[in-house]
Amino acid sequence: MQEKLTTIEEAISKISNGDVVALQTMATVASPMTLVRELIRQQKRELGLVVLVGGIPVDLLAAAGVINRLIGAAVTMEQFGLCQQYRQAVEQRRIRVEEISESVLNARLGAGARNLPFLPTRGAIGTDLMKENPDNMKLLDDPFGGLPVIACRALVPDVALIHAHRADRFGNIQYEPTALWPDMGIMPYAAKQVIVSVEEIVDTEVLRLNPDRTVLPGFMVDAVVEVPYGAHPTSFYPDYGYDSDFHRQWTSISRDNEKVKEFISRYVHSPANQQEYLEAIGGESVLNYIAKWEQAE
Amino acid sequence: MSLDWQNSPVTDDYSIEELLITVLADQFRNDDQATNGMGSFIPVAAFMLARKTHAPDLIWLAGTVGLEPRPERIPASTLEAPLWKDSIMYIEQYGDAWHLLFSSRWIEKFCVGAAQLDQYGNANNSIIGSDYHAPKVRLPGTAGLADLCSLGKKLYYWNLNHSSRSLVEKVDFISGAGYLEGGDARDKLGLANGPQLVVTNLAVMDFHPESKRMQLKSVHPGVTVEQVQDATGFELILPDGDVPETSKPTKAQVKLIREDIDPDEMRNK
Repeated sequence: MQEKLTTIEEAISKISNGDVVALQTMATVASPMTLVRELIRQQKRELGLVVLVGGIPVDLLAAAGVINRLIGAAVTMEQFGLCQQYRQAVEQRRIRVEEISESVLNARLGAGARNLPFLPTRGAIGTDLMKENPDNMKLLDDPFGGLPVIACRALVPDVALIHAHRADRFGNIQYEPTALWPDMGIMPYAAKQVIVSVEEIVDTEVLRLNPDRTVLPGFMVDAVVEVPYGAHPTSFYPDYGYDSDFHRQWTSISRDNEKVKEFISRYVHSPANQQEYLEAIGGESVLNYIAKWEQAE
Repeated sequence: MSLDWQNSPVTDDYSIEELLITVLADQFRNDDQATNGMGSFIPVAAFMLARKTHAPDLIWLAGTVGLEPRPERIPASTLEAPLWKDSIMYIEQYGDAWHLLFSSRWIEKFCVGAAQLDQYGNANNSIIGSDYHAPKVRLPGTAGLADLCSLGKKLYYWNLNHSSRSLVEKVDFISGAGYLEGGDARDKLGLANGPQLVVTNLAVMDFHPESKRMQLKSVHPGVTVEQVQDATGFELILPDGDVPETSKPTKAQVKLIREDIDPDEMRNK
């Protein structure tokens, strides 16, 4: 089997300026945050971002000037509020939004994954989403005589960024039983390249004990990297919950561009590796706190 | 259930959030199936209250992920794992969820908020302003609302800030289809059901059966019809005769909300 294990720097160097990057994220849930910070460290530019519902990773990428377009259903940090840097960038035309609903995103990525020109949905009929996105959504008569549907054009991202629980060095990826979003079930199948960070690299024999938990086969994964707490500050169940204090720290300064620069310098550019990042965010006490998510607020 | 909720008297000791929760809880029957989205502390409290009183078998799909969960209390997020504690099943978001949601047979009721709602129940969570690509305010986006509105679901809207900015004559952007231009516009596209009720901090509204315009159903205790009309960005249809008063919560309902369902007061956030 082909070796896929590599470094964070090497994995992210596969991404070129202008690429369309599909990112695993659901508000405050499960996002490959270490990979996202590496996009900023490597000063990627003019990336397009595909998200189901983006949260803090979208805000950080917007703040650092990495993205100039977003294809997705929503961007919000739920109880922590709107992503202000993203919002400002959209209002100032620095990011162009192609808003699509969740079923349209599933259809577009599903078509991309299956090598089809489009897949239909009946969601979003009657909304203004189609009016603002005529190149990718078209009303189509049912050839079998039923009601019209929306044809959703295939979307093939250049790369998908994923975080998962464990993998072997050949890129076979396992995920623990928890909520599974399209960014695990469809997104990587649609993308040309798949880059995965995992909490731990294990021997292939460990994966064979629970093949029902393997979600991506190694042959479709281009790079895998070991990153403990690689989703922080988003949640990664059942291992850890989201970091409320970190989200609040961000939202308390995210309208102030000078403080945003300091924040990004402190948490993105200064730490030389994941270990230094984990120390910067508060070390053991914070990691112990997020591990007890069932008791946390 | 030791609490005698059926014979509990109404009370004046309630907050506006608690009134919204009890009004919404009344909309869910024992044989219903309902789901919630993000930031939905009021809807989640309503489902949990209905389940603890008149609708113990109400099927609740928490955050469209966790089926029949048993959270001890409402956690700080309605879209994270603590909400779907002890679920019977996790519904996969790229497969099972849409098999259920696309069908007209399952998960018929959805309770949600909108930044703007217009006289025909069209919802906007996308932008404020006239230029879509340089909006005055970029809102979160439609998420799954556009889908659920067009898939024959019954929508129950809640709004704690009844004003001419949130209840507008025409939404700046249709993120979720209501009755569109009214009348049979929705039917013509083959869209079943649609908005049923709008519950705000001032009143309860529904939709006229023919014109599909929003009409006043009841005003909350202490609120006048004039106050409601003044705070609304379009003319509400008024019922014939006196406008009824919204039923106050019962003591048992308030006690359940405060002590069992939401002791951490997420409903006030």
